[in-house]
Amino acid sequence: MIDVVFQLIIFFVATASLQDQTFDATLKLAMAPDGQPVTAKNPLEVVIDVNSEGQILMGRIRYDKNTLGAILKQTAATYGSDNIPIIIRGDGRTRHQDIKTVMDQCTGAGMYRIKFAAMKEAGQ
Amino acid sequence: MARKRRQLEGEAGELNLTAMIDVAFQLLNFFVMTAHPVAVYAHLDILRPTPGGKTLEEAQFTDLITIMIFKDRFSINTKQVSQVQLEQVVTQLAKLGKNQSVLIQSASDAPHQRLITVLNMCAKYGLKNLSVLSM
Repeated sequence: MIDVVFQLIIFFVATASLQDQTFDATLKLAMAPDGQPVTAKNPLEVVIDVNSEGQILMGRIRYDKNTLGAILKQTAATYGSDNIPIIIRGDGRTRHQDIKTVMDQCTGAGMYRIKFAAMKEAGQ
Repeated sequence: MARKRRQLEGEAGELNLTAMIDVAFQLLNFFVMTAHPVAVYAHLDILRPTPGGKTLEEAQFTDLITIMIFKDRFSINTKQVSQVQLEQVVTQLAKLGKNQSVLIQSASDAPHQRLITVLNMCAKYGLKNLSVLSM
């Protein structure tokens, strides 16, 4: 039994950091120490990274704005535009113009509620 | 006779835990040495203006407060303010009501950090009705 417990501990510790690998690790998120902390993850949420050069990434794959718009429209058509939480993870140095491009694609797909991800407490 | 049997049973039931405890401490050491603080993320909610919503001209006649973000400065209803003054205004707004509408307009060349700073300020004082527009 103890062997199995150790195996489980190793499994959970090894896989705990895999979540972060789905995002662009080079992003330096803007700081928002008073923002609402993220407690639960919605499995339907769409996370869009915008790096300091204005490139748009989802799951570390780069997309142009037209492809992003098409994906968002398809997602909205499948699940309903009100049910999909959109989270924009913008680098603190990104120009607002590049964030606007992503927001415009979201509104184009009928998604008006948007969340900006920021860093509440910095890790390592 | 009975005491002897009990002694034998006790000896047979003992388990040497030394090796297992050694491994447990090795694992504990490993995880403590390799652990690092986990970053805590925050979400800042905004609303984009809907096509069927109020136009900006209509909204300006109501109590709408407009915060403008530029690359190097902030302004409230076209009056230039410092970040400290902006925070004071946001504090006063929050005292009037948490549902106060705030329109945040950001210049194209302003860094994203500045927008987050303003949203963070609004979140700090509980303002929830935030719309973001781009200039």
